[in-house]
Amino acid sequence: MGLREVLTPFTVWKHVFDDPVTIKQPIGRPAAERYRGFHQNDLDTCIGCGTCEAICQNGAIDMVAVAGYDPEKGNSGLKPQIDYGRCCWCALCVDVCMTGSLTMSNEYTWVDTDPDAFRFVPGLEEPWKDDEEGYEREGKRVLSGIERIHMEEMEPEARIGNFDEIVAGYSRAEAILEADRCVECGLCVATCPAHMSIPDYIAAVRDQDYDRGLQLLYETNPFSEVCGRVCTHKCEGSCAALHEGDPIAIRWLKRHIIDEVPFDRRIELIGQPAEPTGRKVAIIGAGPAGLTAAFDLARAGHGVVVYEALAHAGGMMRYGIPEYRLPYDALDRDIGVIEAMGVEIRTNCRVGRDVTMDELRRDHDAVVLTIGLHMGRSTRVPGTEGAGVEKAVDLLRRITDGEKVPLAEQIVVIGGGNVAMDIARSMARLQKAEFGKVGITLTALEDIDHFLADPEEVVESREEGVKIFDARGPQEVMRDAEGKVTGLRTWRVKSIFDAEGRFAPAYDQSDERVHAGSMVIEAIGQAADTSLLGAALTEALEWNRGRIKIDTAFRTSEPWLFAAGDAVKGPDVISAVADGHRVARTVMEKLAAREVAQ
Amino acid sequence: MFSFKPDRSQYPAPGPDGKLQIDLETGKYLKLWQGPNHPGITGNMSVELTVCGDEVVEGKTHVGYLHRGFEKLMERRTFIQVFPIVCRVCVPEPDFNEYCYAAAVEDLAGIEAPEYAQWMRTLILEMGRFNSYMMFLGGIGGALGLGITGQWMTYVRDLMLDRFEELTGARIYHMFILPGGVRGHLPEGFEGRMEEVLDTAERYLADIDRVMFSNSVFKTRTKGVGVIDPALFEPYGVTGPNARAGGVAKDLRKDSPYLVYDQLDFEVATATDSDIFARATVRRADVQTSIDLIRQILKKMPKTGPAMAKIPNVLHWKIPRGETYIKGECSRGEYGYYLVTDGTGYPRRINVRGPSYTHAMALLEHLIPGTNISDVAALMVSLHTYPPEIER
Amino acid sequence: MRDIHALLKQRHRLGPLEPRKGGLAFVTVPRENLRGLLLELRDTHGFTHLVLLTAVDWMEDGLFQLTYMLNNRGRDLTLGIRVMIDREEAQGDTIHDMWPTAATYQRELKEMFGIDFPGSPRLDEEFILEGWTDLPPYRRDFDSLAYSQQTYAERPGRVTHDPREYMKSKLYPDGV
Repeated sequence: MGLREVLTPFTVWKHVFDDPVTIKQPIGRPAAERYRGFHQNDLDTCIGCGTCEAICQNGAIDMVAVAGYDPEKGNSGLKPQIDYGRCCWCALCVDVCMTGSLTMSNEYTWVDTDPDAFRFVPGLEEPWKDDEEGYEREGKRVLSGIERIHMEEMEPEARIGNFDEIVAGYSRAEAILEADRCVECGLCVATCPAHMSIPDYIAAVRDQDYDRGLQLLYETNPFSEVCGRVCTHKCEGSCAALHEGDPIAIRWLKRHIIDEVPFDRRIELIGQPAEPTGRKVAIIGAGPAGLTAAFDLARAGHGVVVYEALAHAGGMMRYGIPEYRLPYDALDRDIGVIEAMGVEIRTNCRVGRDVTMDELRRDHDAVVLTIGLHMGRSTRVPGTEGAGVEKAVDLLRRITDGEKVPLAEQIVVIGGGNVAMDIARSMARLQKAEFGKVGITLTALEDIDHFLADPEEVVESREEGVKIFDARGPQEVMRDAEGKVTGLRTWRVKSIFDAEGRFAPAYDQSDERVHAGSMVIEAIGQAADTSLLGAALTEALEWNRGRIKIDTAFRTSEPWLFAAGDAVKGPDVISAVADGHRVARTVMEKLAAREVAQ
Repeated sequence: MFSFKPDRSQYPAPGPDGKLQIDLETGKYLKLWQGPNHPGITGNMSVELTVCGDEVVEGKTHVGYLHRGFEKLMERRTFIQVFPIVCRVCVPEPDFNEYCYAAAVEDLAGIEAPEYAQWMRTLILEMGRFNSYMMFLGGIGGALGLGITGQWMTYVRDLMLDRFEELTGARIYHMFILPGGVRGHLPEGFEGRMEEVLDTAERYLADIDRVMFSNSVFKTRTKGVGVIDPALFEPYGVTGPNARAGGVAKDLRKDSPYLVYDQLDFEVATATDSDIFARATVRRADVQTSIDLIRQILKKMPKTGPAMAKIPNVLHWKIPRGETYIKGECSRGEYGYYLVTDGTGYPRRINVRGPSYTHAMALLEHLIPGTNISDVAALMVSLHTYPPEIER
Repeated sequence: MRDIHALLKQRHRLGPLEPRKGGLAFVTVPRENLRGLLLELRDTHGFTHLVLLTAVDWMEDGLFQLTYMLNNRGRDLTLGIRVMIDREEAQGDTIHDMWPTAATYQRELKEMFGIDFPGSPRLDEEFILEGWTDLPPYRRDFDSLAYSQQTYAERPGRVTHDPREYMKSKLYPDGV
């Protein structure tokens, strides 16, 4: 042991005069900018999807109702309440948050004598709720997929000359990846008119349990072939994933399930209907509402006959929606399952011509009217009377029937909804086949950002060569001396509705255009053809603005007559399906009540 | 000079099962509990000593004071939900749990963490190692009555915790290494602030050299004390600095390079005497290696790049059936995660392999007989034990 | 690793080699062959380091898997050796004479899984648990959540809502 080794340690006495390194006021010491402190939640951005609760490994989060935040489309109104007796500050809830509303402050010191004070809803009144600093995730969320799995579609050049289906459908691998993105919050279920069990059937795709998936589909919707293709998919508009990325492709996943289950297997999975009850129900119109009601009633054991005026069942699904969106064989499979439940569909049987309402009433315990909207409306601007001006629904029906429809090299379509797109794209295909080129001009009142048609319809129409002129109001169908159509004169639309919200387009007359064309097609809406009712019944029924008046249970003012679907409510297939269920339920309640009475 | 020589004649006779026949009634032996709350114990653990005079004839390690059943808890959590709890297995150096778990999940799920994340993980692990050694250098001084080293090292560790805080958002449980990558990028100006910490650390370490490693009292009490025969290394599963102090350059950073260690320039510190002093010097040298590595990493790491790989939706992340073992060189030796999956969304089994498991149990119990009571604390601390690794 | 596996396959009735990334691989061996295999790996093939010894509960199959992880540092090889044993009469063979540290692992397996290792020192001494009378807690059939619910009281006053059900109750309570 040298002397040096004894003395060296004493050199540290130099620190005696150092300033202390301790922090004088540890309470109140600001934490780092990224510090994971007490949560913050932007309550106006939060959609109450509950993924924060789902991921919390401590069970520290409850979803609770907060005054002033009610459920609405795509938003449950619930807010996370955090129990800080359990929270471990891992911030997975922040990372998984679908909207980015949940973040953290860098506040970490808080003293309170009431333990329950440490269980609260962030974003209400805590002092740090608006602090800038604190943990936020870097960039967009990474804990669930942002981007939708691409759907294979035919290229415009390949699809324009024919009516082949455009969308390919997901492969199993693609479907699993897309289904994986769903966080199972269930916000979409309320938006779906039929309240389909969307998260559950998406889970079935993930689990590759297509049998379960199909059963789930049929619990709420016998038209999954159809809705898997052409549903207006409002569910996707309330998907939690859309706030930071693409919504889940709910519609394509539904189609994927139905694609994976062969027809015979579907009937096996659904099982036999209940024992016959001996009750009989007549349904007028084999569209989605009527056939859904027929399906439900037949499943319950009631005898159902569907009367269809046209040659085939399906209603607007067949005669309105073009084949390239919904192939007829797909529709036939959906209808086939319904028929397999014992539903009798009498086609080419027009009520009022081949059978009367009175007969139906006499021979059945109830009659359901689901006649849809098959009469095209007209703009009634000058020049619409006479040859060269057609209505979209009429043309679409004739195309489905395989008739040769009038055609021109340059056609002007009036309307900005899906029907307008359907006819524009159908005529484009016929033009391509006939003339080798597309010549379609489409004018609509709405500006392009407020089109009623689905955005993908607008995109695909343009891809196929349809020229779209938005915010144009039709003024006159121009005709030459011989009365032949030469084009459509329009003014620019300044506004569509007046201050009270009534339909009253205002135009800028200085901005006038003439869209050349030797044919004009009106696609501005449809009406129900109620002539089948006959004068007496028409007189007896109560009406509401030109529609048969119904109550919330789809009862008309006549106790034996019920009505549903587009003719009374609308506006799309899935709504018609929902209506079909509802009207079937009402009919069954009525039948059951009578059972008790007898 | 005085040195303690065990007197084997005091030992009771072993019974037929090889166990010592200690009859406390004779009054010759005394049971002495060191811990679970004792300044010479790191963490919540105790050593049950049987002493005869001031010589220890038998020692048994007791753990379980902090048992939380982590491995069982992990089986009840989804793969992402395991992430927040793994770090809690080891307070002073939690990052190895995060890294090993994340890498094990990535291995079985077939995911590759991006390059930036690999560098960041290496940085985090070296920062954690640095902090762990701060605990050691403070602790070994404390175990020998040198209180000031503990205070200095705690201060320096606190400065590093400040860097952890600004980088990861937390001081102790960083929860920064997610399966798939890391949670974020370096904050602006981080390199400069880190350099200040490393500078300060080096100044304090120089003081440690003077006050501890050059201290005759420290040397006298640690040199030749607590010698581990290198022949015991393999039978007792000795790894890390405990083995390096006995001349075996075991270091997974070199032996089985992971993350970006193959792109970094460093030497593995060794010593030859395999006593408490040697183990302390190896760790002292390791701190310097970590400081150098942190500087290298900050210089070499990419400035940008994705922090996370694409991972499946964590809310229903299922991993196919399989098993893997991911290891790394933590400040105490080989740290590893053995992960078994069964195709569900939950781990079938996770086993945490902490170096203290062998060091503080079988090895310590083997080393204790024949030591002086007053050396037990230094011996135990010199093995660098973190009890939660044992009881998990 | 493949060379070693090929060499030892017949002698020790090894299952197929399951290689993973790096120098890691797994193999299954019958219980009778474990000791011979471990000895040969340790003494002839440089697998001197017992990394860990633990168990996996395959309750559905009525089996425990014992995993012996051995490491050859020089060649950077790690071999996980699996031995499947009956879960009802769970018993393994002690290897504490080969690696004294194995006694600790075996003591833990006895306590946490109820797997017996006859001859292993201090096997029945309490290791981590004290006064434990329930099932060995790391067995899959020990329900830690139920245990915690029985043992500890929840602080009252918490209630949560499922967003989907909540929206239904508020927006379409009768289901349509």
